[in-house]
Amino acid sequence: MQLLWQIIVNGVLLGGLYALMALGLVLIWGVLNIVNLAHGALIMLGAYAGYYLFTAAGIDPFAALPISMLVLFLIGYAIQRGILNLVIRGPMFNTLLITFGLEVVITYLAQVIFSADFRTVNPPYAGANFELLGATVPFVRMLAFVLALGLTLVLWLFLEHTRIGRGIRATAQNLVAARLYGVNPRRVYALTFGLGSALAGAAGTLYGVVSQINPYIGGALTAKSFAIAIIGGLDNSLNVVVGGLFLGIVEALTALYIGPTYTDVVSFGILVLVLVVRPTGLLGRTA
Amino acid sequence: MRLGYQLAIAAVAVAALATLPSWGSAVIVQFGTSALILAVLAQSWNIIGGYTGYASFGNSVFYGLGGYGVAIGMVQLHWPFAAGLALGIALALAFAFLIGLPVLRLRGHYFAIATLGLAVVMTAIVSNLEIAGRNIGLIMPLVKGDTWFYEGSLALLAATTLAVAWISRSRFGFGLIAIRENEGAAAVMGVNTTLNKVLAFALCSVFTAIAGGIHAYWITFLDPESAFDIGLNVRMIIMAVFGGPGTVFGPVLGAFVLSAISEVLASKVTSLASIFFGVVIVIAVIFMPRGFADLVRRFRQSGWRYFQENIRAHGV
Amino acid sequence: MAAILEAQKVTKRFHGLVAINDVSFSVDKGEILGLIGPNGAGKTTLINLVSGTLAPTAGTVIFEGTPINGVPAYHRSRLGIGRTFQIMRPFPGLTVLDNVAVGALFGTAGGARKLAEAETQAHRWLAFVGLDKRAGQRADALGGPDRKRLELAKALAQRPKLLLLDEVMAGLNHVEIEEVIAVIKKVRAEGISILVIEHVMKAIQSLSDRLIVIHHGEMLAEGKPQEVLTDARVVEAYLGRRRS
Repeated sequence: MQLLWQIIVNGVLLGGLYALMALGLVLIWGVLNIVNLAHGALIMLGAYAGYYLFTAAGIDPFAALPISMLVLFLIGYAIQRGILNLVIRGPMFNTLLITFGLEVVITYLAQVIFSADFRTVNPPYAGANFELLGATVPFVRMLAFVLALGLTLVLWLFLEHTRIGRGIRATAQNLVAARLYGVNPRRVYALTFGLGSALAGAAGTLYGVVSQINPYIGGALTAKSFAIAIIGGLDNSLNVVVGGLFLGIVEALTALYIGPTYTDVVSFGILVLVLVVRPTGLLGRTA
Repeated sequence: MRLGYQLAIAAVAVAALATLPSWGSAVIVQFGTSALILAVLAQSWNIIGGYTGYASFGNSVFYGLGGYGVAIGMVQLHWPFAAGLALGIALALAFAFLIGLPVLRLRGHYFAIATLGLAVVMTAIVSNLEIAGRNIGLIMPLVKGDTWFYEGSLALLAATTLAVAWISRSRFGFGLIAIRENEGAAAVMGVNTTLNKVLAFALCSVFTAIAGGIHAYWITFLDPESAFDIGLNVRMIIMAVFGGPGTVFGPVLGAFVLSAISEVLASKVTSLASIFFGVVIVIAVIFMPRGFADLVRRFRQSGWRYFQENIRAHGV
Repeated sequence: MAAILEAQKVTKRFHGLVAINDVSFSVDKGEILGLIGPNGAGKTTLINLVSGTLAPTAGTVIFEGTPINGVPAYHRSRLGIGRTFQIMRPFPGLTVLDNVAVGALFGTAGGARKLAEAETQAHRWLAFVGLDKRAGQRADALGGPDRKRLELAKALAQRPKLLLLDEVMAGLNHVEIEEVIAVIKKVRAEGISILVIEHVMKAIQSLSDRLIVIHHGEMLAEGKPQEVLTDARVVEAYLGRRRS
């Protein structure tokens, strides 16, 4: 029983981070209708940003979040403005292919610049734990969890209650109408992709604190983010949180009761099942 | 140019290519084998993706099942290669029918994601199976002589292309094309869309599985990562799409050209091959999203403005 | 005359909304039955129930004496039910000829087996509707009236026994309407029974042997065109109640 509780706690903590990982993907997908296969690569860049800020500049990884988010925002903005804006109104298949191409390029450049070695970010408090009703909770994971949910909340508030946020949502729903209201779609699109990238960057920085990183983690993280997004449902941030928590707990339970090598089978098996049975996701509106 | 003439020219090309091992270096024969196998993958994908319009991101499953059929058959069961290949084909067909049926009900990017998810699931399942050697994989008996694999791959490509040629002028093929162009209209016009889709998927599974089997035996080593190589999915799609999906020879040409350029660049600067694909995809999607075939056709009319027109049509 | 199509107490519910309520009618062999009603009355839904695009919540659809509830759309085409779509559904990337060839290849009793034969038939049907000179053009390059002709040719190429026409005359001018009326009469002369939805009153009057009127998903009136169109309830449905 004690073990089960510990596993659930682990799952929830992982789930919060998962939610943040998928959030950027869902934002870009929902607003720009871009299925971003480079998403994991952006997470990877965020992880490296956190790593270098820590090892080269001595900045605590959590404190470095705003910086890595800014860096990723700029990268994302540039990608959308310079490349993706040229194909965005074409068939969706094209954006799929082009983001794959970007993933390949980014991964390759990362490997050249950062080398293929595994890295970890080890702040001095890395080993600290505290007790929660009998379960051991690593301090860094708890902090990552809180920040992940916090950013999700901030994003939701931003989209609902700020002028820019509403502009983004309006453009998503009706490009023509938004244009008539003076919205510059090129900039809104770039802003949105930048925002999604910033969120990916945040997830990456936090990921770097709790797990090892190397240039090739992008692919698996993209796949995982897709699973979370689809399982939760693409409609809003809350769905993503539910999807993330659900998958985090499921994976933790799978690792315990079936075996750690089966987590992918279960996670992606559920993804396929959801797509076939209820494509709008666990919480999504029925089509 | 009528299909008959195209096939005649292709037959001459095949005959010419078949002589390669007698005058080419070992490196060229090896490159040729890789390119031929990739061409088979692109051409098979063409059946479900190009003609039927269902962009599968999971054909790597068939490739892997073909490879593991051969590996398990030869290593664990001590069968000859042909029997192992038959096992691989059987596994792939079973997958195509059983899993294809529910998944082919999905449209557009949902189908793409589902097939991608399946690719990941299968990789994970196989890496847990004892008989498949788990993560470590299996090692097959070595067969000397790259020539056999080269000629085998060439024959497979010819067979696959003939199948696609038949599809392009058959009632079955028209059913597939109708599904691609407007599935709802096809259904009310009498096309049994479910049956046709599953058959297309099954057909492509056979050729892809055989390619996987030949490749596994050639490399003599198989593990889940390499057998179910998920990156292969996108590569075969890119080759088919830029060669010209829904055409008989487009994917083959796309595979050959992209493989050749990749190889040339790889010999100049070894690590460049990996980034080559990425850059080419990005540039191609921006400037020639409709593939080589369309480029050739429209370039005669519009010249350099063709590229600009594409951006204007698809960009914001 | 025997009925080729019979709808018995057909109802269609979409969650809370009742689109078709307890409608019964029949189409006799060789007749042209007109289906009219104000916008949103449920006419296309009714056609969808017959062609198999939708399944009824209650009631039975009977074709040539056999109930066809549960028979999928593609199979209904094989049985002999062909239709056109109000929002047209061509195969955009294919030539006009290929569009119609699909109909010839599939369609009633499985269709032609060979592509060459299907193409011959396709030419015949294109000539029938007056579109043969455009056989080699891409379907998405056609203008409005030509698209309608193509839609009709595609349906005819299936050699249907019953043809369902959904507003083939919308957006056509007088001359074009006359042409379409002539073609539809030619179709009937081929022995094909027809169920026509139409808004253009003059056309439906001159075409139909009988008329049925649907309003708010229910059968409002049926009978000879003269009787139906002067029926007070029908007039009220279209024009509203006269204020005295």
